[in-house]
Amino acid sequence: MDTASETAQVRVEGVWKVFGRKPGEAREMAEAGATREEIQTTTGSVVAVRDVTFHVDAGETFVVMGLSGSGKSTLIRCVSHLVEPTEGRVELCGVELTRADHATLRNLRRQKMAMVFQHFGLFPHRKVVDNVAYGLEVQGVDRQDRQDRARELLDTVGLEGWGDHYPQQLSGGMQQRVGLARALAVDPEVLFFDEPFSALDPLIRRDMQDELIDLQMKLQRTLVFITHDFAEALKLADRIAIMNDGAFVQVGTPVEILTSPADDYVRAFTQDAPVAKVLQACSLMRPLDGTAVDPGWPQVSMTTPLETALPHLLGSTSPVVVVDEDNAPVGLLHGDDVAGVISENRP
Amino acid sequence: MTVVEEARRTANGLRTASGSRLARFILAIGTIVVLVLVFRLSTNFGVFPESWDIGLADPIDRARRWLISNQTSHWLYTAFLNPITDAIDWGIRRLESILKWFPWYSYPLITGVGLWWTRGRVAGVLGLASVSLIGIIDLWEESFATLALMGVSVLISMIIGIPLGIAAWRSDAVARVVRPTLDAMQTMPGFVYLIPFVLLFGVGRVPALISTVIFALAPVVRLTEVGLRTVPQVTVEASEMFGATERQTLRLVRLPQARPAIFAGMNQTTMLAMSMVVIAAFIGAGGLGQVVLRAMQSIEVGQASEAGIAIVIMAIILDRFSTGIATADPGHDALALRWLAVAVTVVAVVGGLLGHNEFPESLNWQFAPYVDDATDWARDNLYDIGGSGIGTGPFSDFVTLRFVTPLRELLSSDVPWPAMIGIGVVLGLWARGIRLAVGIGAALFAIGFLGMWALSMDTLAQTIVAVAITLIIGVPVGIMTSHNDLLRTALKPVLDFFQTIPSFVLLVPVITLFHVGRIPGIIASVIYALPAAVHYTDLGLRRVPAEIHEAAESFGATRGQRLRRVEMPLAAPELMVAVNQVIMLILAMVVIAGLVGGGGLGLEAVRGLRRSDAVGRGFEAGIAIVLLASILDRLTRAIADRLRPPAAV
Repeated sequence: MDTASETAQVRVEGVWKVFGRKPGEAREMAEAGATREEIQTTTGSVVAVRDVTFHVDAGETFVVMGLSGSGKSTLIRCVSHLVEPTEGRVELCGVELTRADHATLRNLRRQKMAMVFQHFGLFPHRKVVDNVAYGLEVQGVDRQDRQDRARELLDTVGLEGWGDHYPQQLSGGMQQRVGLARALAVDPEVLFFDEPFSALDPLIRRDMQDELIDLQMKLQRTLVFITHDFAEALKLADRIAIMNDGAFVQVGTPVEILTSPADDYVRAFTQDAPVAKVLQACSLMRPLDGTAVDPGWPQVSMTTPLETALPHLLGSTSPVVVVDEDNAPVGLLHGDDVAGVISENRP
Repeated sequence: MTVVEEARRTANGLRTASGSRLARFILAIGTIVVLVLVFRLSTNFGVFPESWDIGLADPIDRARRWLISNQTSHWLYTAFLNPITDAIDWGIRRLESILKWFPWYSYPLITGVGLWWTRGRVAGVLGLASVSLIGIIDLWEESFATLALMGVSVLISMIIGIPLGIAAWRSDAVARVVRPTLDAMQTMPGFVYLIPFVLLFGVGRVPALISTVIFALAPVVRLTEVGLRTVPQVTVEASEMFGATERQTLRLVRLPQARPAIFAGMNQTTMLAMSMVVIAAFIGAGGLGQVVLRAMQSIEVGQASEAGIAIVIMAIILDRFSTGIATADPGHDALALRWLAVAVTVVAVVGGLLGHNEFPESLNWQFAPYVDDATDWARDNLYDIGGSGIGTGPFSDFVTLRFVTPLRELLSSDVPWPAMIGIGVVLGLWARGIRLAVGIGAALFAIGFLGMWALSMDTLAQTIVAVAITLIIGVPVGIMTSHNDLLRTALKPVLDFFQTIPSFVLLVPVITLFHVGRIPGIIASVIYALPAAVHYTDLGLRRVPAEIHEAAESFGATRGQRLRRVEMPLAAPELMVAVNQVIMLILAMVVIAGLVGGGGLGLEAVRGLRRSDAVGRGFEAGIAIVLLASILDRLTRAIADRLRPPAAV
C-alpha cells in the first residue's frame, strides 16, 4: 500500500455491489471473468460494482469516469452509503461506514460529507434559501442562524437575491448552484458529485466547471466526482479512475492516462480528447527545484490551457514560467513535455 | 435454415397466435348460443327455482329483533357500541352548536372571502350569493345538520385515512391488505353500506356517519400512498445525505411533496362524503338529504328542488374550497386578504356574542311554488304534447316497453337461469381464465340462492339499457372533444358540475319531467355517468402519441381511417375503463332509483332501510347488489386487460 493512503480521507477496499437474488453466485461468475450479460442471463443478478479499491487524500479531486451503465453511480452511492455494498470496506474520515450503526452514519453525514446530484435533487416545496439551509435544519440549528449561513453561501455561488424564489423558477445552471450551496452549507470535509453538470448546456457546464475549480482552490475539500465526460474528468481531476463494466480499468493522473493508456478501451477516450484545451499548465509543469527564473521568460498562470501556452513555447528554447495567483513562480513548462503529450494523443 | 424460411415460420407463428384469439372468441360465442339453445329446448327452466332460496332474511330479521331488545342490556352495546355511538353523537352535536353560534352573515362572508382568495373575484361574489340563498329559501337549520355531519365524517376520514396511507406506503404487507379492500369498497354502491350499519346501530346519525366514513375513506388513503410513492428518489437521497432521520425525511421532504396528492385525496373524500351524507337520509341522518327524501316520497317537487339546490351549492363550495386550498398561490394579494380575514373573524366573533345566529325570517323567499307550477305545467303539457303521442310520457313508455321490459324478460325468464350462469362463466373464461369464471359462476348461484334472481335481472336490464344510452352519447362526444380543444374547454365546466352533484339529487329534476317509474332512474343514471364516459374516451384518445398520428397520416389515412384503424384500437383499454366506470356509476344510481319506483334490487334495499320488518330482505338485496357489482367490475376490468397491447419485456 502506498504512503499517500495513510492520510486518505476516503478509503474503499474490495467493494462489490450485486443487485438481485443470488449475489454469491453472481460474484463467483464475475471473478471467473464472465461479462455482465452472461451473469444476468444465468443468475438474474446484475453486478454493478466489482472489486473496486481506491483512496482519496484530503484536498484531492478524484474523478470516476465511465459511460452509462458502467456502475459509477452505484459506486458513489456505495461510498456515500446510500446503497449498502454487497461486500468490501468503505472508510470515511477514519470511520468504517460498512460497520457503522445508524446513529454514527447519520452524524458522519451531518458533519463530514455532502452530495451534489445529477438532477439537482432540490426540494420543490422549499424556497431556495430553505433548500440551502436544509442540512443545518436537520442538525437542529435555529432558524435565524441557518438562514444567515444559507444566504452567505448563496452569495458565494453567485445567487445573491434569489433566496426567496422556488427552485423551479431558476434555470438549470442556477439550480445546480443551489445544489452546490446546499452541500457547502454544512461545511463538509468530503463532497460527492454525481454527474452534477451533465444535465446542463455545454456553455453553462464549462462555467460551472471553472467555478468549481476556483472554489476548490479556495476551500481545498476532498472531492469524489462522477462523470461520463472524459474532457470534464481531465479538466477537474487530480486523479482519474476509468470505469468499465463495474470495475476500474485504470487509475492515474490526467497526464498518466493521456500518455500511457492502460488498454484500448482507455485509448479510445484519449484519442478524441482535446488535450491542448483541457490540460492546464499546472498539470504538465515541472517543479522549480531551485532553478533560477529568467525574468525574460514568458509567464502563464496555473490554469492556462496548454493551447494558450503553446505559442510561447514555439520557436523558443526557453521554458515558460508558471505563476500562482500572487504572480510567484511555482513551476516550469517545457516544450518537450507538451509536445510529448500532444503527439501521444495523435497516434 | 435460410432467412426466408425463418421469416415464414415467424409469420406463421404470428398468424396462429392471432388466429387462436379469434378462435377463442368464436368458441366463447358458440358455447353461449349452444348453452341457451340446449336449456331452452330440453328443459322448462326459467326463473331460478324459489325452493332453492336459502332464506337468509329470517335469521337476519331475528338478529335485528334481538339487537333491538338487547340494546340497553347486552355488553356488546353497553361496553362497546353505545360508547362509540355516544362519542360520535356528542361530536356532531358539539360541532353543530359551534357552527350555529356564529352569526348567520359570517357564512356568506367567509365563503365569499375564501373563494375570492382561492378562485378570484367572480367566484367570491357567487359564493356569497349562493350561501345567502340557502338561508333565503329557509334551509339554514337543515344545512347545519348536514354540514356538521360532513365535518365530523371528513375529519374522521382524514384521521384514519392519512396514517393508513402512510402505513400502506411504508409496509408492503399493509398495502397488500389495504389495496384490495379499498378496491372492493369502491366497487360497492354507497347505498349498500347503510344496510349493515342500520342492522347494528339502528337508524340515526351514527350509522350514517360510520357508513359515510367507510364510503369516503378510499381516495385519501390511496392518494396519500400514491403521493408518498411518487416523491422523487433523488430528493429523498439528498435528505438522507444530510443525515436526516427517517422521521425528518418524512416530515420535511416526503409529506410536503406528497401534499398535492393528499389534498386531491381529501377533495375526493369530501365529495364522496357529501353524496353519502345525503343518501344517509334514508337511515335518519337528517339535514338536507332528509328534506329531499321526504319531498320526493310525497312528490313535492318544489320542496325537493329547493333542498336539492342547497345541496348542490354546498357540494360545489366544498369542492372549490378543497381544490382551492390544494392549489392556492399563497403569494397573491396576501396582505389585503389577511386584513380581510381578520375583519371577518372580528365580525364573526362580535356577531356571535351579540347572538345574531338566526337567519332573519324577513329575508325568506321560497321558489318551491314556482317549481311546483312548472312541474304541473310540464306534466300537463309535456307529458303528452297535444295528445300527439309525442312527449315525455310516450317516450318513457317507448323505452320501457321496447327495451327495459323485454330485456328484463329475456334475462330473467326467457334465457333459462342455467344458461345465464353459463354465459357468465364463459365470458369469465374468455376474459381472464378459470378463476374469474368460477368466481362469476359462484356469485350468480349465490344471487339465486338469496332468492334475488328475478330482481337482480331487473336491475341488470336497467343497467344495460342505461349503459348503452350513455355510451351511445358519451363515446362520440369524447371522440369529438379529443379532436377539438375548444369543445373540450367548453364542456369541461358542465361535466365538472354534473360530477359534483350528489347522485341522489339528480333524481329531482328528472322526476319533474318523467314522473316515477323505471325511466327517471335510467335517465338520472345516464346523466350521472355521462361525464365519466366522455372523460375516459377523451383521455384514451389523447394518450395516443402524436408520432403515431403523424405516422398514420403520412401513409395517407383519412380521419375516419385513422380513428378506426389506429386511435380506437390503441385507446381500447382506456375505453374499456370508461365502460367499467360507467357501469359502476350507473349501477349505483339505478339502485338509488329504487326510491322513485325504479324497482329491482334497489326497491328491496330501500324498503329494508325504511321498515324494520324488511331488514332481512334488504340485507339480501344488498348482498345481491354487491355480487352483481363485483361481477360486472371484474369482468369489464378483465376485458380491459385483454385489450391492452402486450407489455414490453
